[in-house]
Amino acid sequence: MTDRDPLRYFRIEAAELVDQISAGVLDLDQQPSTEVVARLLRYAHTLKGAARVVKQPEIAEQAHAFEEVLVPHRDDASPLPADEMRELLRLNDAIAGRVAALSAPVQNQTADVRRGGAAQPQGAPHRANRPAPAPPPAGPAPMAPPLREGLAAEAAGPSKPAAPAGSSPHPATTAGRNPTPESAPHGEPATGSPAPEHTPAAGESAATEHTPAAGESAATEHTPAADGSATPEQAPAAESGAATERTPAADGSAAPGHAPESGAAAGRVVPAEGGAAPERAVTADLDELLDAIGEANSRIAPLREGSRTLATIHRRVETLGDRLRTGRIGGGDAVTRGSVQRLGADLGALGRRLIDAVDQVERELDEVRGRAEGLRLVPAGTIFTALRRAVRDAADAEGKRVRFHATGADVRMGPQLLNQVNGAFLHVVRNAVVHGIEPEPQRLAAGKPAEGSVTVHVERRGRWAEFRCADDGRGFDLDALRRTALERGLLSPGAEPDPRTLIDLVLHGGISTSPAVTDVAGRGIGMDVARDVADQLGGSVSIDNRPGLGATVLLVVPLTLLSMNGLLVEAGEHTVTMPLDSVRRCVRLSAEEITAAMDTGRLAHEGRVVPFLPLCRALHQETELTGTGVAIVLSADGETAAIGVDRLAGTTTLVARPLPDLAPAAPVIGSVSIDLDGNPRLVLDPHGLVAEARHISPTAGGQSTESNGRRMPILVVDDSLTTRMLERSILESAGYEVDLAASGEEGLEKARAREYGLILSDIDMPGIDGFAFVAETRADPTLSHVPAILVSSRATAEDRRRGTEAGASAYVVKGEFNQEELLSHIRRLILR
Amino acid sequence: MSTVAGRLAELREDFDRSFADPVRRHDDEHVELLTIRAGGRPYALRLSQTSGLHPDRPVTPLPGPQPALLGLAGFAGQVVPVYDLAALLGHPVAERPRWLVLAGGNPPLGLAFHDLDGHVRAANADIVQEANDSDAAGSVRGMVGLPGGVRPIIDVPATRATVHALTGHQVTDQEAAR
Repeated sequence: MTDRDPLRYFRIEAAELVDQISAGVLDLDQQPSTEVVARLLRYAHTLKGAARVVKQPEIAEQAHAFEEVLVPHRDDASPLPADEMRELLRLNDAIAGRVAALSAPVQNQTADVRRGGAAQPQGAPHRANRPAPAPPPAGPAPMAPPLREGLAAEAAGPSKPAAPAGSSPHPATTAGRNPTPESAPHGEPATGSPAPEHTPAAGESAATEHTPAAGESAATEHTPAADGSATPEQAPAAESGAATERTPAADGSAAPGHAPESGAAAGRVVPAEGGAAPERAVTADLDELLDAIGEANSRIAPLREGSRTLATIHRRVETLGDRLRTGRIGGGDAVTRGSVQRLGADLGALGRRLIDAVDQVERELDEVRGRAEGLRLVPAGTIFTALRRAVRDAADAEGKRVRFHATGADVRMGPQLLNQVNGAFLHVVRNAVVHGIEPEPQRLAAGKPAEGSVTVHVERRGRWAEFRCADDGRGFDLDALRRTALERGLLSPGAEPDPRTLIDLVLHGGISTSPAVTDVAGRGIGMDVARDVADQLGGSVSIDNRPGLGATVLLVVPLTLLSMNGLLVEAGEHTVTMPLDSVRRCVRLSAEEITAAMDTGRLAHEGRVVPFLPLCRALHQETELTGTGVAIVLSADGETAAIGVDRLAGTTTLVARPLPDLAPAAPVIGSVSIDLDGNPRLVLDPHGLVAEARHISPTAGGQSTESNGRRMPILVVDDSLTTRMLERSILESAGYEVDLAASGEEGLEKARAREYGLILSDIDMPGIDGFAFVAETRADPTLSHVPAILVSSRATAEDRRRGTEAGASAYVVKGEFNQEELLSHIRRLILR
Repeated sequence: MSTVAGRLAELREDFDRSFADPVRRHDDEHVELLTIRAGGRPYALRLSQTSGLHPDRPVTPLPGPQPALLGLAGFAGQVVPVYDLAALLGHPVAERPRWLVLAGGNPPLGLAFHDLDGHVRAANADIVQEANDSDAAGSVRGMVGLPGGVRPIIDVPATRATVHALTGHQVTDQEAAR
């Protein structure tokens, strides 16, 4: 194989090294240290050596030039001069471009398609006539590293372990790796000391920043340094011990004579090689899949055994038949009867064995299917390097210093979706740098650190993925927004729009149509892209503006496919799946305990009383729990609840998809998966279950189901029309009836005139403020039982304390304003 | 004996001829109808408005606010909501329907009913249109006179529209789901 394609292993190794170099250069930019320099030198040197072996002189020369820039800084922890930094980035891009060009045509194609996808929002034709759109935040080259990010972890396995293999029978492989040990001297001087590589202040962010690049924590990145031996890079690949251990075998498959291994081993090598596309799974995932397949295979053995037993029984029946036919039933009926009885018993046993075996095979195949589907998903961290680079480039162009910090690299989602979000977020982070972060003097004058901060956080919430970009800059310029809006005729003259309204204008694309090229317009265009992506994906985008303190852009998109581990549970006739990651414990309950829990709606668990919800009831079933059962203790939204089920039926790996259109479901249902027979299986939503358990619990069971149908209306008190409308639309879409009041006084009047299930109030309002309003409702015996939630842009602990003192049941910060959070508060609190 | 032989010959001839006959084509003068029973009442469905007929399909019950929504069924990896026709027509019965048709159009939608009487071809002349179609409400559009009685015709697109209205379908379903 190697003979046919001499570049085969080089491609893997080079792609991996390019990724490491790309991440390392950005590290160096943010936290210069001798360790990073040493690491980069090692990578560049390895790449140079490998490139020469496979006759890629251009790459070797560029790697050499890269080294030349770094060598003077080997023992120098101070930052590189800006021009040298720029040169490193240029060389990095050039090398990345060349390495990408080496990829096989198929991979190129994939990469192009994906790149096109990512670039699409900014290149969309309808945007061409927009005034001076922000230049693409990152050219194709910076895009390249994320395309291969997944490989950083996976390719390390197959390619690196060859290095120690001086014994490898394959000359090409050995030769290709020989340069690696040479690189050690570069690494050693700096890395000989096990001193922490980062300054204490930078340590924390560095750790997170590394996560995406290596797919592992910074800890693994340290390992090669400490090691410094011929196989320094092995450690980053250590997704799991197993992954690294196995890969030598995989490499061995290139050599003849490893025939027994080659089947499975090739399976591991091939995906690694094709890893140029980001959707390729990391080695550990493939290993798990292969394990699952192996397990399923091994379950076939009993079936084979069974078929042999069946053959024996068949022979015996034939013998018996012969004897019956020829009338040679010597010894009378007793022998025949005995014979038939034995046959019957054997058949029965065989039947049971077969059923067991089939059950097991089925479970294992379920597992295989789930894992295979999971391979379609990629970790969010794969876009972080491109975002970092976009921030870096924008900061450089603007002459600003900006630190980039990203968390949530492990959240997995479909590559398509991630790609689109990447396209939007490149604009968003760039905007944050260009329009958000102030020039240094201004920052210092405002009492901020000279270095700006842009943070990207990715999180999965139920079947939604949240992408949050926060900066600590000046926030949106509301005055400029107001001016632009007035010029554009978006506001009637004399109107005094509140900040929310102005921000909404940005979100709804009104601002970016401004003919004048202004900062405001520029920022608007970035938001247009984000909004377009949100629209395409069926998600939403929102802005939290903190004037003078920064802004947060939140993009929430639905995850169409979501890989999860599930616990299969049975309740009545239903078999449903509970997402395993929210399950804390399972407790077996006796019949009496079940009865007590059903009667009280509560369960004592680890010294606490938690609400207890029988799953049958949550699923609106006629049947109730009887006899023994199991309580599944769940956590979601920081709350705990126990869900009663008949029995547990094992765990499974599954891919959950959204409920189809036209299928409105109870909030306890989150999504649906498809079982082996092709039938839908419901996946529960832990958030919904916890909320449901907390509703039902106070009513002490029994009556709860009747009250399910009726929801009491909600009163929204806010002086801002936009906020009122926003809250109303959120609540109405969640199925609540909503009344509105524009002031505290009007709120009191309305609250006394009608029975509400919940009151939602702003704090800053003309007339009585939210604190006073809530306090007044608490003092009124006719209203004191109606829970009140304060919703405000005030976020200080003092405000929260005042809210609690006034008697508010919850406090939601508009800044962190999040529909799901608001609704979960409401579900928890609302009276039925 | 001769009558049996004659009958046999006749059957054989019928059988052979069925292969020789040209395939019947849809034409403008006729409509293909499924005659069904939903909640014990007879109806007809236009075959052309459906995209599949399935007996005894497993339907996973989906608890939720729509009593007419029986649950979800799987079709080639696709999850399809299944509604009870009888309930949509306003006369729900406790018995679970055995049959379902897939409604044409998007998003996927299954309509379940209790009994399938047969598949008939009816002449257009036998179909009685409503006096004013635009006034028509509900799922029934017109009647058809068939041997055994006159049946109301369930219009599948109108039924789909009813389901869309019931579920507030849902350009912004992500909002509703939150």
